[in-house]
Amino acid sequence: MKTLFLTALSAAVLFVSSQAIGAEKSAREIVEQAELNAYYSGDDGRSAARMIITDNQGRQQMRQFTILRKDQQDGGVQEMMIFFSRPADVRDTVFRVVKQVNDDDDRWLYLPDLDLVKRISAGDKRTSFVGSHFFYEDVSGRNTALDNYELISENEDSYVLKGTPKDPGNVEFSYYEVVIDKEHMLPVESTFYNESGEAYRKMEVLKVETVQGYPTVTHSRMSDLTNGGQTEMQFRFMQYNLGMPDSIFSERSLRNPPAEWLQLRD
Amino acid sequence: MPYRKILTFTVLFTLAQASPAQDSWGDDEWESDWGTEQDSSIDVYGYVEAAIGGRLESSPYHKRLSIAEPRLQLGFNERWQDITWTAKTDGWYDGFDETWHGQIRELNAQFTVFDNTDIKVGRQVLTWGTGDYLFLNDLFPKDWQSFFVGRDQEYLKAPSDALRMTSYFDWFNIDVVWSPEFDHDNYVRGERISYFNPLTGQLTGDDPSIQFIEPTRHEYALRLFRNYEGVEYAVYGYDGFTKSPEAVTDNYQPTFGRLTVVGASVRMPLGPGLVNTEVANYNRHDTADHWRALIGYEQELWTRFTGGFQAYIEKGDTQTRTVLTTRLTWRDERDDLNLSLFAFVSPNQNDGYLRPTFDYRIDDNWSFSGGFNLFFRERPNTFFGQFTENNNAYLRVRYAF
Repeated sequence: MKTLFLTALSAAVLFVSSQAIGAEKSAREIVEQAELNAYYSGDDGRSAARMIITDNQGRQQMRQFTILRKDQQDGGVQEMMIFFSRPADVRDTVFRVVKQVNDDDDRWLYLPDLDLVKRISAGDKRTSFVGSHFFYEDVSGRNTALDNYELISENEDSYVLKGTPKDPGNVEFSYYEVVIDKEHMLPVESTFYNESGEAYRKMEVLKVETVQGYPTVTHSRMSDLTNGGQTEMQFRFMQYNLGMPDSIFSERSLRNPPAEWLQLRD
Repeated sequence: MPYRKILTFTVLFTLAQASPAQDSWGDDEWESDWGTEQDSSIDVYGYVEAAIGGRLESSPYHKRLSIAEPRLQLGFNERWQDITWTAKTDGWYDGFDETWHGQIRELNAQFTVFDNTDIKVGRQVLTWGTGDYLFLNDLFPKDWQSFFVGRDQEYLKAPSDALRMTSYFDWFNIDVVWSPEFDHDNYVRGERISYFNPLTGQLTGDDPSIQFIEPTRHEYALRLFRNYEGVEYAVYGYDGFTKSPEAVTDNYQPTFGRLTVVGASVRMPLGPGLVNTEVANYNRHDTADHWRALIGYEQELWTRFTGGFQAYIEKGDTQTRTVLTTRLTWRDERDDLNLSLFAFVSPNQNDGYLRPTFDYRIDDNWSFSGGFNLFFRERPNTFFGQFTENNNAYLRVRYAF
């Protein structure tokens, strides 16, 4: 379930990983590599994102936002800001996250109509992200330390791993299977199973593009296999290693978004 | 509903539906309008809303209707010459006083100087402090009338004409707000919501003989703040007047007393939740000082269900008021239905105020909201108790674009 989001991998990591890939690679090594590639590419990144949410009766909604991200260290603390532009009721709302590894994330929401900086208490990360079929955790990345992994199959192109939660009481799934593409070492499909072994939720990568040398997921889909309905997510205008200063990731940017870093251009 | 109002609705909704900003999602929608530098069209946004509400019991002071209004809000913001220009304006027909109204909520320019200082000048909405519907150091104007009759939460904050300067430094940040003319709250003064008049010692509806004397002087507010390792510290100052008339002139006309406030707050994660604490000293110049203190805690109790709790005290030499609040919020799996109950209870005044609300989002344009404003009391002269005759229910439907 290492999905999307500013996906790519640093040239150094790509070089090392392509050498290290082999049959002897452990399931955990594969997953940790994929996590870095999916969530920690470059030192920072900027991307515009759009989600089209389709419910089980075919009705559609859209979300559009721009994300700025900066890593304090690879696989560690990560600063993130999400600036919403659509739909109308969330326009100019800004979400700020400091992603922690062994602690709850710090989260703030800026509501421009009230000029209110609202701090949000830690919550269940496996709930809908802005009304889509993606979970908050799909967008920010699930901590790999929370699950045990085993390699269940491998072919020329990919690994298939099974992830089992260490604390099953905290999550709605019983286990999941993730397909990791060997070429990019990126998760390209994740399927979640319930207690009776039925698949009920599935993430598929639909397109990977190479941006500044980093393979990046630019189109993916999350489907509700039980009730129907799906969300497709696309990324545009990705850039890595912009050299964004730490000061961007602060209360200041909630009230006064950093226009210089939010200009979209290819 | 009279024909004229129905016509107003129809016209407003038709206008909104015809807006070019309306979205429909065909296959090519992925490609359109990402808001790049090349997209130069000016984007006007806003909503059309209809609100209706009534008192739960007939009141000796007012008619049964508490709110009936079609409302149009239009806004735009544009960055030009490194300045962000924002305008937002509301127009509505108020079925309670049977008059048309207009209000400019925002008309301001925001820009940066010396890299570390943001300046926002013009009409703007201002908020700071850590309380949830309890305000200690936030002395920016509030619209209690809108809050009590069930307008959107956005309208609790009234705009100020102000100059705001925020400077960021390594060790702390400083926020200075100067308003050339004092802005009072849109406080309860009888014409729409009845209240207890301490001068006459009785509940009062609309009484044009009562003249409220407003000061004409500037006011300013100050905040020093910092976020250090996830803990938010702030120190506040304010110099101006009480936000509702709490003093009397020599002629026994209600007026706004001089007020200076100094306070501080801390907000931080604690265990699985968030804790906040805030204090403020209210120096009333011509009358006795008092203290206000607040402690709050919020936590997700179970998935998608959050509970917030606050304990608040106002303590002077002669009078003390204590308030406990709780906010319970539940949202559904798809995040389109939000149910909330906010309760104020004062153990020492034996009164309180319940605000159950729902918000249902049908799609990206249409939404419904509704709720109750329920006051209860033992005596009519207490803070919440005086409003009991105004208990009401309301429903709003909105088309946003």
